Amino acid sequence: MTIRTSVPVAFASLVALGSLTDWTAHLPAAHAAEANDKAAFVPPPESAIPQGKFGDEVRLGEKIFREPGMHAAAYVGNDLRCSNCHLDAGRLAGSAPMWGAYVSYPAYRSKNGHVNSFEERLQGCFRFSMNGKAPPLGDPVLVALESYSFFLAKGLPIDEAPPGRGFPALPKPDTKPDYNRGAQVYADHCAACHGGDGLGQSADGKIVFPPLWGPRSYNWGAGMGSIKNAAEFIHANMPLGMGGSLTPQQAWDVATYVDSQVRPQDPRFTGNVAETRAKFHDNPNSMYGQTIDGAVLGDPAVTPPAGTVPEAAASEPGK
Amino acid sequence: MNTIRIIRMDTVQSPAHSRVMMQSEATDLSARNRPQRAVRAGRLIAVRSLLCVFAIQAAGPVRADDKAASLGPTIAMQGSSRDRPACAACHGVDGAGQPDVGIPRLAGLHASYIADQLGYFASGKRRNPIMAPYAEALTPDQRRAVADYFAGLPIPSHVDAVPAPPAQLERGRALFQRGDAQTKLIACTQCHGPNGVGVGSFTPRLAGQSGPYISDQLHRWRDGDPRDPRGSYMQAIAARLSPEDIEAVATYAASLDPKPGRSQRSADR
Repeated sequence: MTIRTSVPVAFASLVALGSLTDWTAHLPAAHAAEANDKAAFVPPPESAIPQGKFGDEVRLGEKIFREPGMHAAAYVGNDLRCSNCHLDAGRLAGSAPMWGAYVSYPAYRSKNGHVNSFEERLQGCFRFSMNGKAPPLGDPVLVALESYSFFLAKGLPIDEAPPGRGFPALPKPDTKPDYNRGAQVYADHCAACHGGDGLGQSADGKIVFPPLWGPRSYNWGAGMGSIKNAAEFIHANMPLGMGGSLTPQQAWDVATYVDSQVRPQDPRFTGNVAETRAKFHDNPNSMYGQTIDGAVLGDPAVTPPAGTVPEAAASEPGK
Repeated sequence: MNTIRIIRMDTVQSPAHSRVMMQSEATDLSARNRPQRAVRAGRLIAVRSLLCVFAIQAAGPVRADDKAASLGPTIAMQGSSRDRPACAACHGVDGAGQPDVGIPRLAGLHASYIADQLGYFASGKRRNPIMAPYAEALTPDQRRAVADYFAGLPIPSHVDAVPAPPAQLERGRALFQRGDAQTKLIACTQCHGPNGVGVGSFTPRLAGQSGPYISDQLHRWRDGDPRDPRGSYMQAIAARLSPEDIEAVATYAASLDPKPGRSQRSADR
């Protein structure tokens, strides 16, 4: 029995190995994270969304996730989409998938010093990453997003840190991350899509390549403002469709470059940059309050305001 | 003079030549009915060339003071020299290309995209034995002028001659609009914009582009040819597509209405 099965199995392995080699030969670099992702959870497909009221919430959640500026306008203050960082609309392992997040809350967060519910965690995304306003707890926008995340996590054990959650850990850089080297990496690998000025590109009135800095990007309080988070995300997922093609050093360098640019103010701003840095940014992964090219990052004189949602939308919350 | 040139052009555009053209950007003939397409290509090109005769003769002589402004249209309609027939002979007077046989539509593509590709043909970075001599014969200014000309033409209305099987279109839609989480394939729209209208000079408009042309390009990338200096992006994507998926996604893209949608920087809004 053992002999009879092992021959075809061994043969199949060889064939599989051959085709894998052939496949990866087309890619600029075979990425360790890709191999690890084999074990990653696969969320249910779109076709599995049930009919009825709950299914309607899931579908609304996905719509908000893909187009928050359209379906949650009262809470969105920039040109980003949830799906810009949570790729494949929150499904992709290694890109902070929503199924990984859903089974990880409630959890203590050092960012605000208490145990956060999943809903409160979503509020943080609107306040910081979307440079907008936090929808009130129980708001239809949060209910829809929670329903969508719950649907994606179907079958996962809770509080088990499933493989593929968050961003894959990245080795520390060989040499200290460098702004100027990062500028070169950016010019070579990022600028074609995100623009040399980092402001992104749109087509047919819709943002296609998201702005990475400037007034329409994430603010200084966002998770992506941490060089470590950005480096992990970039290394695993950028350039889009070519995750793993940059070296860890390149990812650290370019993350340093991107997170050393002007972006909207931290909504927790105390009125004093040094004090705000000491309270919320006192770590090597934040450039807030540091001086780049003679300008202090976060200086209110040159920093766009935080939380500027469209006026018309703000007066009609939930629209 | 024009007549002589046009006779040469017709001689050049024989079915055999068309077949070379189809092969020039593809390596896998057997899988995709190429010989039949090539024969059709010959017939179509003959008809188009005839139309071209009228168009070129109707255009008449070019006045000297208009020369700078008319550089692009002149190259497009009359060719750059006696040895180089007009772009319009294959890509059409209206820049519509010949979708059925894989000659791409140029009208409405970004001018910098067209000029870049001409540069790559000329330098050999984008290997194409048909386009190389045409591109080499042009100076960078001429390439830019002819690129500006085709980019500025109105996008011809959509002609969907042969309806594709619904299952193939549905598979194409899924890949184009959503990608495939299993193979980590990103959606085409993530770089080519909503409904594939194209974004800036980097990602060309796919909506309503020739299906056989898109398919040929995807096969080239899949077979390991970078095609142009930034081809590694598309190589990584094409490596995740089966031949069936390539047909599906190309057919779906070709079926999309190439309605105008101006690409712009978010800063301009």
